[in-house]
Amino acid sequence: MELIKNGKRIDGRKFDELRPIKIDVGVLKRADGSCFMEWGKNKVLAAVYGPRECFPKHTQNSYKAKLTYRYNMAPFSVDDRKRPGPDRRSTEISKVSREALEKVIFLEYFPRTAINVFVEVLQADAGTRCVALTAASIALADAGIPMRDVIVACAAGKVEDEIVLDLCQEEDNFGSADLPIAISPRTGQIHLMQMDGILNEKEFKKAFDMATKGCLEVHEMQKKALRDKYEKIGEVYGNE
Amino acid sequence: MKEIVVPGDKVDGKVESYVFREGNNAYSMVLGVMDNKEDYGRIVPLNGKYFPQVDDYVIGIVTDVKRGGYVLDINSPYDAFLASRRRYDSGAVIFAKVGDVSEVRSVSLTMDKQLYEGELMEIMAMKVPRVIGKKNSMVMMIIEKTKTDIYVGRNGRIWLKGGDIEKAKKAVLKIEMEAHTDGLTDRITEFLK
Amino acid sequence: METSEIVWEIKKDSIRKMIQSGKRSDGRALDEYRKMEFLENYIPKAQGSCLVKIGDTQVLVGIKMDVGTPYADSSDRGNLSTSCELVPLASPDFNAGPPGEESIETARVVDRGIRESKMIDLEKLCITEGEKVWTVLVDIHVLDHDGNLIDAASIASVKALLNAYLPKMEDGKVLYTERGEKLSVREKPVSSTFASIGGKNLLDPSYEEEMVMDCKFIIVTTEDGNICAMQKSGSGPYNRRDIEEMVETAIRRGKEVRKQF
Repeated sequence: MELIKNGKRIDGRKFDELRPIKIDVGVLKRADGSCFMEWGKNKVLAAVYGPRECFPKHTQNSYKAKLTYRYNMAPFSVDDRKRPGPDRRSTEISKVSREALEKVIFLEYFPRTAINVFVEVLQADAGTRCVALTAASIALADAGIPMRDVIVACAAGKVEDEIVLDLCQEEDNFGSADLPIAISPRTGQIHLMQMDGILNEKEFKKAFDMATKGCLEVHEMQKKALRDKYEKIGEVYGNE
Repeated sequence: MKEIVVPGDKVDGKVESYVFREGNNAYSMVLGVMDNKEDYGRIVPLNGKYFPQVDDYVIGIVTDVKRGGYVLDINSPYDAFLASRRRYDSGAVIFAKVGDVSEVRSVSLTMDKQLYEGELMEIMAMKVPRVIGKKNSMVMMIIEKTKTDIYVGRNGRIWLKGGDIEKAKKAVLKIEMEAHTDGLTDRITEFLK
Repeated sequence: METSEIVWEIKKDSIRKMIQSGKRSDGRALDEYRKMEFLENYIPKAQGSCLVKIGDTQVLVGIKMDVGTPYADSSDRGNLSTSCELVPLASPDFNAGPPGEESIETARVVDRGIRESKMIDLEKLCITEGEKVWTVLVDIHVLDHDGNLIDAASIASVKALLNAYLPKMEDGKVLYTERGEKLSVREKPVSSTFASIGGKNLLDPSYEEEMVMDCKFIIVTTEDGNICAMQKSGSGPYNRRDIEEMVETAIRRGKEVRKQF
């Protein structure tokens, strides 16, 4: 399979081009905050409950809210049906994603409560952990949870000796490196980073740069989606 | 001038609530509406739960009986404790004032009054100020026109009894839905005629 | 959660009073459904799919097909397997973890509706008798719970199956990303759920109504006006006349709903 031909990728994109992205905010009734994202062929739904009472009581923290993050894939989301329930990969993704949010959310404002983030991957096409975290970030803002920033995630990788942005499934399957990152766009600080494959130092720096730029591009879309949802707001609520 | 801010957006230094500071700059903590006037600026969050503040009047429901008092559900991630010698059953609806909120958010209530019979509504806590109105003007207008007895809890709970209760409930729901628009007072006045 | 139960008790009375006078809090008649919306082929990568909205309830069903071995007592037929995930984002009451009784009941009732109506021609799913058959995997993923999950799951499953394709088979290998022939279906079962509140039976209960109801009754009917599945779900007892009335209503409603297919 030729992944790169005449300077274009298998889906026609330039090396530093993102897949098309569509964002819908506040799509669920029961959840406190929610976000549905289509990113390339990925379809991901993120939702937030909280702050709410923390159960079981003995896991409560007197100084801050307990944050949980659960990344889950629907059985029909992948080509080879996935059995329902958490597997090792989902558990790892959940852990690093939760850790990405822990220093961004003002957890200390809500002692003894829980803030639960749930992400369901409804259709997968590589880069799902980045889509998930980006959507979760929007869902947290939608829920009114105070944060230092709306963090954003994006990946870059290596495909046939070229460093490219935002790998699609074929590129992920046959490429030679994948570098997903999540940053706080305001400060540039990195809250999530993983890598697998082989990259030399120069390639790593190039991929890091590319992924960062990708993050900033997606962040503009996050902000626009949040503002668009509430743009009809005219007057502020009465006396406070 | 109003604009929507998201967490991390830089805002004017004079804004006091829902901001955090880093270096010389102030940033919004929440998704909200930024209201920038000459001498002050404030951010009103667009969503969020009710978090009890001292002196708030709330409507709670007794969920547990303890020695010397009661545990009340106040429609918040935090329960409240009411020290009272009065006898209340589980499920009793109580109108009370928030007396104290500790560092770990333990909430104490005081000045309790039981509300008997009547109907209980729940709306978004952040829309409650609109239902109350400037100097209670909005809620007084509903009470006057419908002859319904109404207690409004800052925690989003509203208790109504008697009078044209259906009209009163509809008026409250209308305010909740249109809280962010202009000319609401006039429309509610029209609606209550 | 204890707290919620006591708070629900307060709401119960006012909702019940309204229903006694024939009214529901969203203004619907007792036998009226909320607005239904269908988004077919919502997950193009699956072999079939449909997102259904009934009011604010949202249920997504994906169909996957896999090659497997037949059961010993049906060596010339393919298999059907239905499962349901009540994922935690759909409701504050749902927890992560293995399927609980509500999730299993939903899957099994939807499965019975499909299986007993003989909707899928399982014989056409036989590849090599006794050795290789297709298994149709129906996965129900509940996304937003505002009541009546079973009807939503059932109609989403039926619509997903109606637009489902077998994957292509080439030299004995399955090419999951390519479409083969359309799944052979010959029935359209329709599920109707009634909630019993203070002796009245309401169609399409909302979440609020389900929290205050005494019991639930589900009837699945077929194109020729037969009943193919039933379930009394919950404790409150029924009397016979009510059940016969619900059956009549369900058959009538089934005919109307099928016009939308």
